[in-house]
Amino acid sequence: MRLNRRTFLGTGAAATGLVGLSGLPLRAQGSTINVTAYGGVWEQAIRDCFVAPFEAKTGATATVSLGGPAQWLAQVEASPENPPLDVLIMSPDLAVLAAEGDLMDEFTVEKLPNLANIPQEFTDACLGKGTYFDYGVGGITYNKQIVSEPPRSFADFVERVASGEFIASVPSISYGPTTVFFLWALNNALGGDVDNTDPFFEAMAKMKDNLVFWAGPNDFFNHLASGEADLGIYFDGRTWNHVDEGVDWIDFINPEEGGAMTAVAIQKPKNASDLAWDYLNEVLDAGNQAKFAEILNYGVTNTQVEYSEKLASRVTPLSEANLPPYAEIARVRNDWVDRWNREIGM
Amino acid sequence: MRFSDIALWAFTIAFFVFMILPIAVVVVISFTSAGYAAFPIPGWSLKWFARIFEYRPFIDSLWVSLQLGVVATVASCVLGVPAALYLSRARSGWATAITTFLLSPLSMPMIVIGFASLFFLSALGFGVSFLSLAIVHTVICLPYVIRTVTAVYRAVPPAYEEAAQILGASRLTTFREVTLPLIRPGIAAGSLFSFLTSFDNLPVSYFFGSAQTTTLPVVMLAYMEHQFDPSIAALSTLQLLLAIVALVVADRLYGIEKMTVAT
Repeated sequence: MRLNRRTFLGTGAAATGLVGLSGLPLRAQGSTINVTAYGGVWEQAIRDCFVAPFEAKTGATATVSLGGPAQWLAQVEASPENPPLDVLIMSPDLAVLAAEGDLMDEFTVEKLPNLANIPQEFTDACLGKGTYFDYGVGGITYNKQIVSEPPRSFADFVERVASGEFIASVPSISYGPTTVFFLWALNNALGGDVDNTDPFFEAMAKMKDNLVFWAGPNDFFNHLASGEADLGIYFDGRTWNHVDEGVDWIDFINPEEGGAMTAVAIQKPKNASDLAWDYLNEVLDAGNQAKFAEILNYGVTNTQVEYSEKLASRVTPLSEANLPPYAEIARVRNDWVDRWNREIGM
Repeated sequence: MRFSDIALWAFTIAFFVFMILPIAVVVVISFTSAGYAAFPIPGWSLKWFARIFEYRPFIDSLWVSLQLGVVATVASCVLGVPAALYLSRARSGWATAITTFLLSPLSMPMIVIGFASLFFLSALGFGVSFLSLAIVHTVICLPYVIRTVTAVYRAVPPAYEEAAQILGASRLTTFREVTLPLIRPGIAAGSLFSFLTSFDNLPVSYFFGSAQTTTLPVVMLAYMEHQFDPSIAALSTLQLLLAIVALVVADRLYGIEKMTVAT
């Protein structure tokens, strides 16, 4: 067919008419729930480990929405009476905000039998309106080809970077979890607390000439791969994912003081479908979580989970990680960001 | 050759190298055989292009983005062309105010438009839907059509239309036979900008993503945050190819030079 203006515009108009018919609002339907997932391997793991058993047991359907916690929380806030999502995956700080805003349902063992195997502190951290199901730990990832004797603690990390022995890649403030897994963790290790972040900012001032900043996790890897940095602050699970992809020159250390546990929470919006409880129970199931951990290289929270030998050597045990006080951090977070912007700027 | 000519050439070449090299690196990385994005690449492979077709959300969201781009572009033309024609000839202060209002999405942060629209359209009952996405994308695409059509139409002497009407043509016939052919480059340029703006948009689409309405940029962001393979580079290469094809089609249909004049 010859392409001319008339056929081009005519085809466009016809296509518009067809797609215009399908633009109806998303609403939870009786036997369908809308759940959430991060992209890539995460999404596939959610489908295989949680959606599939949920659908097999209930005969219902779960559709998966890709995106991020801020997007999902905004969607629920915009329609709290009829939320477009039935299950949210949340970052710990937003989980606290959502719970404080009374947007989420309370988690109980009566509704979720598998909650009995999740440490109570993780449900408490979500103010009882959600719990953690997956976690990583922020620590020191380094290039083995360049760093033969890596720092074993945060304190050692600061001293050796400040002395110029290493160039370190650290997260910038534009990356959401930075305030927790870097600022709080390093500050805590150096003797500070939520109300006193001087140790962190003093350490940053000492290291400033030997730092590069990453805005997203992929930047960190590029810094190490290009030689721009020798080591840095990163996550255990992401490091192991790189190793599994064939990157044999990196390794991870959980600092002696303990890295910060960066968890992933799950919540159910108020007025969401009751079927969501069945799905959430599958998310908290030990067998499903073990499979999920195997795919993602991250730890999970059900205490009955038994990791494979390979994963057991990689996952940082809960006892060796520090659970940040997310609710307290949420209270002072803006002040921390303000001070960061004034003193560090990146 | 004079020194100033040499300096100008050197600057021009440096400018294009600076602009094109990062894109070229992305294209090269999309053909890497490695499981991660690094440059230079250790070997050549097409496996990351195959990955695009294996990962269902890429294809589903590409389809959503294409549909959305077409709907937003057509809606922008339907609303924007009449508005541009009227506002181009109007002389009142209201016309200036309305023009500024219609162009205002260009100067507002997209993330603010997306966030506000989510709450506004949810309150109206549209919720998270393709219809909501189409409405908001039309809002952000409309300024491009109005801007380009206005620029072209202002250069058209009113005498052409007046002559047609004096010779007995109705207003509709005058529009169809005289005005429309004259403003066609402006509509084409506005449509092209509208489609590409909609197709690439992330901050607005982000707030309206669902299992059925997630656009390609939102899926790419979600994928990049948790996966480290070069399939995003392959996808970017395909997007680049799509933009080039769109420009070639536009050139064949209307001529890029005329469209450049229109803007």
